[in-house]
Amino acid sequence: MLDKLKHHWNVTNRREFFTQAGSGLAAIALAAMLDQDGYAASVDPLAPKKPHVTPRAKSIIWCFMEGAPSHVDLFDPKPALEKYSGQPVPPSYHPETLQSAFGTTHNGLYPTRHKFKQYGESGLWVSDWLPNIAEHMDEIAVLRSCTADGVNHVGAVCQMNTGEILAGRPSMGAWVTYGLGSANQNLPTFVVMQDDKEILGGVQNYSSGFLPATYQGTLFRKGDTPILNLRPPTGMTDAQERNKLEFLQAINDRFGRDKQDDTELDARTRSYELAYRMQSSAPEAVDLSSESEATKKLYGLDDPATSVYGTNLLMARRLVERGVRFVECYSGSGSRWDAHSSLEANHTENCKSADKPVAGLLTDLKARGMLKDTLVVWGGEFGRTPFVQGSPNDEKAGRDHNPWGFTIWMAGGGVKGGQAIGTTDEIGLRAVDEPHHVHDIHASILYLLGLDHLRTTYMHNGRAERPTGTAGALIDKLWA
Amino acid sequence: MRCVSVLLGLALSPPFLFPAEAPHVFTPAQKNYWFFQPVKKSPVPAVRNKAWVKTPIDAFILAKLEENKLQPNSRADKLTLLRRVTVDMTGLPPTQEEIQQFLSDYSPNAWEKVVDRLLASPAYGERWGRHWLDVARYADSNGFKADETRPNVWRYRDYVIKAFNDDKPYDRFVKEQIAGDELYPGNTEALTAMGFNRHWIDETNAPDLFERRHQTLDDMTTVTGVAFLGMTFGCAKCHDHKFDPILTKDYYRLQSFFANTAFGDGPLPLSDPEDKRKYEEQYSAWDAKTKDIRAEMEKIMAPILEDRKKHSATVMTDEVQAVVAKDAAQRTPLEQQVYHIAETRFGGLGDPVKALKGDNAKRYAELKAQLATFDYIKPAPLPEGQFMTDLNATAPPTYILRGGSRFAPGDEVQPGFLSILDRSDAKITPPQGVNSTGRRSSLAAWLTDPSNPLPVRVMVNRIWHYHFGRGIVATPGDFGRMGAKPTHPELLDYLANYFVDNGWSIKKVHRLILLSNAYQEASDYQPKIAEADPDNKLLWRYPRRRMEAEAVRDSMLATAGLLNPQPGGPGVYPPVPPGLITELSATAVAGGWRTEKDPAQSDRRSVYIFVRRNLPYPLLQEFDTANTFESCDYRKNTVTAPQSLDLLNNELVLDWARSLAGRVFNDSGLKPEAQVDRAFHLAYGRGASAEEQKIAEDFLAKQMPIMAQRLAGDDKSKPPLPANLPAGTDPARAAAFVDLCHMLLDSNEFLYIN
Repeated sequence: MLDKLKHHWNVTNRREFFTQAGSGLAAIALAAMLDQDGYAASVDPLAPKKPHVTPRAKSIIWCFMEGAPSHVDLFDPKPALEKYSGQPVPPSYHPETLQSAFGTTHNGLYPTRHKFKQYGESGLWVSDWLPNIAEHMDEIAVLRSCTADGVNHVGAVCQMNTGEILAGRPSMGAWVTYGLGSANQNLPTFVVMQDDKEILGGVQNYSSGFLPATYQGTLFRKGDTPILNLRPPTGMTDAQERNKLEFLQAINDRFGRDKQDDTELDARTRSYELAYRMQSSAPEAVDLSSESEATKKLYGLDDPATSVYGTNLLMARRLVERGVRFVECYSGSGSRWDAHSSLEANHTENCKSADKPVAGLLTDLKARGMLKDTLVVWGGEFGRTPFVQGSPNDEKAGRDHNPWGFTIWMAGGGVKGGQAIGTTDEIGLRAVDEPHHVHDIHASILYLLGLDHLRTTYMHNGRAERPTGTAGALIDKLWA
Repeated sequence: MRCVSVLLGLALSPPFLFPAEAPHVFTPAQKNYWFFQPVKKSPVPAVRNKAWVKTPIDAFILAKLEENKLQPNSRADKLTLLRRVTVDMTGLPPTQEEIQQFLSDYSPNAWEKVVDRLLASPAYGERWGRHWLDVARYADSNGFKADETRPNVWRYRDYVIKAFNDDKPYDRFVKEQIAGDELYPGNTEALTAMGFNRHWIDETNAPDLFERRHQTLDDMTTVTGVAFLGMTFGCAKCHDHKFDPILTKDYYRLQSFFANTAFGDGPLPLSDPEDKRKYEEQYSAWDAKTKDIRAEMEKIMAPILEDRKKHSATVMTDEVQAVVAKDAAQRTPLEQQVYHIAETRFGGLGDPVKALKGDNAKRYAELKAQLATFDYIKPAPLPEGQFMTDLNATAPPTYILRGGSRFAPGDEVQPGFLSILDRSDAKITPPQGVNSTGRRSSLAAWLTDPSNPLPVRVMVNRIWHYHFGRGIVATPGDFGRMGAKPTHPELLDYLANYFVDNGWSIKKVHRLILLSNAYQEASDYQPKIAEADPDNKLLWRYPRRRMEAEAVRDSMLATAGLLNPQPGGPGVYPPVPPGLITELSATAVAGGWRTEKDPAQSDRRSVYIFVRRNLPYPLLQEFDTANTFESCDYRKNTVTAPQSLDLLNNELVLDWARSLAGRVFNDSGLKPEAQVDRAFHLAYGRGASAEEQKIAEDFLAKQMPIMAQRLAGDDKSKPPLPANLPAGTDPARAAAFVDLCHMLLDSNEFLYIN
């Protein structure tokens, strides 16, 4: 009920009004008020802001397995599937109430072909598809009872990023940027990397929705120019550019001399300096030449099968090191994990490409003392069905989408590892114990980063909007 | 969304959980809320400083200032005013000739002449039409994964621009956009206007077409509420509005007006009666001669199409498949709606002709050849539009959906307005000669009824908002309790009355505002006054602000002398920064971004840039262009590093600077001082001061040796030089001057309107 009330509260605060009011005019008026609040007296929407709760994590690296990995083949063993192999879902599971993406609910149950083993002190189960991540299970909290609303990829990927199936709401990275500001303005605060094709739905997944555009994610391009317009025009020298910027400053100063009240004018002059610094800091951040061979090897950069995702994750670590708060790295962007057919071939290839880099990231973060304040999240937009798609007996056998119960895991950033939270039913179809909707996952991630999802609000169309819509509950077990 | 799944369970016993409700009781506070009161005839207030009052607007503004013992700023200087009004009305800076003319015009009506000239300028519609396109969530693509192009939706954009230029009365403008098909059958403009509610984001790949339709209806309901009524109806989708008296029932009553709407995409009627007669004559001649051929072709093709239809349906939900399989006559109105959407997906799997085999293929080819022999009498195809119309005359029922879920229907509702204003069902009269419900005609009548206090206030407030950067109600889409309170409620009502009394003429309202002293105040800061009114709510000064995205780009192009004023037509694709397109594989499938080969097309006004929802034009997006996923009431105003990166490094901007430098050299010859002066004139409309001359020459002196070195280097590092430089020009100075011009374009004096 509290949720319901919060959804309607007019909790607009000064900081928020300030960002929305936007105009230089409102800015001056508010500068004084902001001072009282302890916020930076500037028009800078990215100025660091005070968190609501003590942050356990400074940054997050979200390893997004796009297309949906199969939980029953990776982290959530279901021996009962052997028992029911080939039989339709027993009526007690009410398959008739499910609308699967491809109408597969009548198909036979399909046990995994992979061997599960227990790892670490915690003895958490992992299949032989992920031998490297398996070595880190004592750092990892496995959420086995996730649920989502979307049966289709576009909606579900959008929901995992924004909380809603329909495009148009701010993504979590945008909310975090809005709520916490930037820790290093020479770099974007919210960075997205894809390894293959465009993420399904594209920009809607890292958009700022109704928040100001400042808070949207920046898609890092491949190569040494990760940001649009980052590279100065061909042939321009640094001295030439410095002269230009000094000239600009001089004419802006002259223009602003009798307009000292208008802090926006000054902010704009400074934004050119910021852009100038970004020109060198962004390429430096993605330049891996200073990384040791051992580190590169750790991420699998020496093997073509792992180097693409490994490169992104190594860049993610470098970004986080430099104060970037929210990095999302898509594995198989464009839905490559989507194993409707040939699950074996699909997951063999995709697990191979991501397993070593993700494990390498965990090892590297730990070795650098960064794991304690870097939250690593692994998962897709939903899981896969325990029943087969296609014939169970040939190599083309696959699994359909399963938003009713699936696995996501988290490590580092204040997360208590070595535990499994929640369960799916005996066949891995639905979350039964401690089900956690995407909104709960979002609320918990925000909490770990220092934001109370109920207090992270923005007035939009007369409503104090928050990242979790009208829902969201903290998954305390993650850190308790 | 979880509440929806809980409600799914609850929905099993609706009568128990949701007993029929007694009529809602509104509180006196709700009933007395200012927005719901009739528009008052506000007397023009008396003021002490009568000399300041140029139009009645000034009396309203001054009365409040005097009440608070504050002084309005004095009039801004003429150049500032000309720049302000020209950007405001056309989105472009004034030309050198226009500046000359105004500065040298000392007649008492010099300002009035400027205002009238701008109101008659075709650029006015391109500027103010764009404002309306924000409200209409206009885009040239569907959104979602596929984000397919809507190939003919640009005709709506052109319709809006023309409507503003023609000063189409606003009541007519609203009627055409809500019910043009029913009210003005056969009228091309009115049917094109029906594109207003064709801009919903659309998941064309959705397997559940009931849901897809449901979402479309939600979009129309919410947008209509915000755009015309200034109320956040969307909040009442799942529950009664928590702050405003909008019942969930009212949300669905409003939605019910749209319950039978469907894609109306197709040919537009010819507006000229003679053309129309000719077309029909030619068509019927062709039709008569080819009827049998086409019938036989259709017969051959029928089984293939039937097969494809079945196949297409298999990716849809069981519920939809059942609808597709059903006999047409058996389908309920709701099922007819769903089938109508399903039909748009039957066409996949490539050319059906290729699926024909053997004799059928041979015969089909023969018939096709025969048909082609009649092409010479076939009239040219009609232009196509994309718009929304009713599917037929019988709408499916509308239910109050608990939690906004279509799985939890409550009571059925009929079309109706806000209960607090009128509890009864709307009177619906099915239109004569149009296969339509007549529901939207009834809505359009209410939205344009002068006694309805909502729409007229909302529109005059929007006009005020764009002129001053802030409305009399600062939240143009929310006049409810969570929105801003009106700073000058009497003025708002005065304007509302003036608007209606003057035939809903938007241009007349512009004129009243532009001729006021309030509009002509200087933007200077007064520390003492700012203490009393820091937000300038009482309008003691004109608020300085950055130009909007389109005005930034268009002003740069115009200043560079490159702007191509060609109006109308399909959206254009100017170049985007390198690295953007290659990664857009998904949108590339749907047409992507076909960068123009002709630079003149790239240099069209920003309102003509193709609006792809998943690929907003970067320069515009960086400068806070409208979000196309919902109605946009006001542009945000951010200051960010990506904006500056774009203005610094975008090769296009550099090219505009090069062109501007070329203009300077051509106009001013070789004299250094004259060159700097000309550059300032072209960029700012004024000459350079002695101080600025020095700043500029200091810069050029430092920059020229660097440029000389670059000019001596290899081709790759050579700086861009203006074309056709006058003889005797030092290339190093010309190259340095490109940088100077570049920085003028990026400077605050260029980007901000004083």
